Amino acid sequence: MGFLDSLLGKTKLPEAKTDKLFAISTAAITLEASLGYRPDGAAGVCIKPMESSHYETVRREIEELLGMSMKETGTEYRLQKDEYNYLWVVLSDPDLDDLVNAIQMVAQILTEQGFGIQILAAVFRFRGEAVIYWIYNFKQGAYYPFVPQSGRQRDTAREFRLKALLQKEMPLEKDESRWYPMWGMPL
Amino acid sequence: MKRWKSDRGLEARMLLTMFLLAAVYLAFLAVLLSMGVSRIIVVLFMGGFMFLQYFFSDKMILSSMGAKPVSESEEPRIHDMVRRLCQNANLPMPKIAVVKTAMPNAFATGRNQKHAVVAVTTGLLSRLNDSEVEAVLAHELTHIKNRDMMVMTIATFLSSLAQMLVQWLPFMGGGNRDRDSGSNVALLLVVSLVVWIVSFVLIRTLSRYREFAADRGAAIITGQPSHLISALTKISGSRVPTEDLRRVEGPVSALFITPALSGSSLSKLFSTHPTLKARIDALQRIEMELEA
Repeated sequence: MGFLDSLLGKTKLPEAKTDKLFAISTAAITLEASLGYRPDGAAGVCIKPMESSHYETVRREIEELLGMSMKETGTEYRLQKDEYNYLWVVLSDPDLDDLVNAIQMVAQILTEQGFGIQILAAVFRFRGEAVIYWIYNFKQGAYYPFVPQSGRQRDTAREFRLKALLQKEMPLEKDESRWYPMWGMPL
Repeated sequence: MKRWKSDRGLEARMLLTMFLLAAVYLAFLAVLLSMGVSRIIVVLFMGGFMFLQYFFSDKMILSSMGAKPVSESEEPRIHDMVRRLCQNANLPMPKIAVVKTAMPNAFATGRNQKHAVVAVTTGLLSRLNDSEVEAVLAHELTHIKNRDMMVMTIATFLSSLAQMLVQWLPFMGGGNRDRDSGSNVALLLVVSLVVWIVSFVLIRTLSRYREFAADRGAAIITGQPSHLISALTKISGSRVPTEDLRRVEGPVSALFITPALSGSSLSKLFSTHPTLKARIDALQRIEMELEA
């Protein structure tokens, strides 16, 4: 958002950037080879619902398409509202690529129908010596690690280690102040 | 495809107000310089004043409001809500502060997006539900995103100089026997008075437009205009006057969710905020836009 937009009080939100989403697939190989983290068969995409009948139509369309792809790829899905009223499409499939494709599909439909700014983040769960999450920020088109611990603490040391390992492999959020934690994820 | 169109009318009115304000200020500067006021003094005054206001008014307002910064562990829910809104609006996370007062209100301050603070009162948190609090937070975040602190600081600075001149000129030049300089002082007094009054009205007008823009921004960030409508209705319905809020004046009061100053005694023209009805009407138009 440029200076003129600010001056005129235009609130422009960035559209969802989906192009870097697929980077997780190659990063997963390095992640397993170097640190032993494997995809945990769970992912999700977090959407801010909009008060509009058009949005409801699109949401139903997404549900239908997910239902169809479930028959094809075996990706299971459920829709769930979290405690802050954000909508989560929670997906489970042992194949990471199927998860990425499903999330890409959801993001693409929302963007095409003009709801791109409502997509907040995608989350992929990995498991190794700890449970770690890779969060894809659609606004920035970049990934960052999130390792939650009990009591709203995060394992920052581990997160930085993941960053160091993967910064050449995938588009990472360079500004660590934007490594927003997502507490209370339904996955 | 985009769901949100710009509010061209609002932008045009805002631009016109800023243009008029700039014209008034330039004319004022021209008069000052033509009267032989040293350029250096004008520049120093302007620079110094803007520097002080830009860098210290946020601390001043926080302390005058008794806003206490809260950590994530003290107010996890507000932090979570603000964080997600920031993520959606592509803003860095501001600091969160809480003011202990029964009067439901919220404000944003800070000289730029990296040094922003969002404060809410305990009255607001107890009266509104989560969605309504979120809507209010989004309104404040829009003030930050639209750089309203900077815009209003720039908008006010020469007005403050005019105000000071009006207050001080009657005590100056009285002992001066030179007739020319005496009439100069009188002229400067009149010019300052006119500049002060006109710029005051324009600043307040601009402030109301920024409020409409912040309401609109809140609707865009949350995607849910109806929650802001119900929040505004609840806040306005409970007018609990508190004396300490009256001390808050100037550009900062423009960043509240509802006026910190009591609006009843001031006419619409002088109010920092639009009327509740005008704001709700605007938000309902946004709701209709979403269905179009």
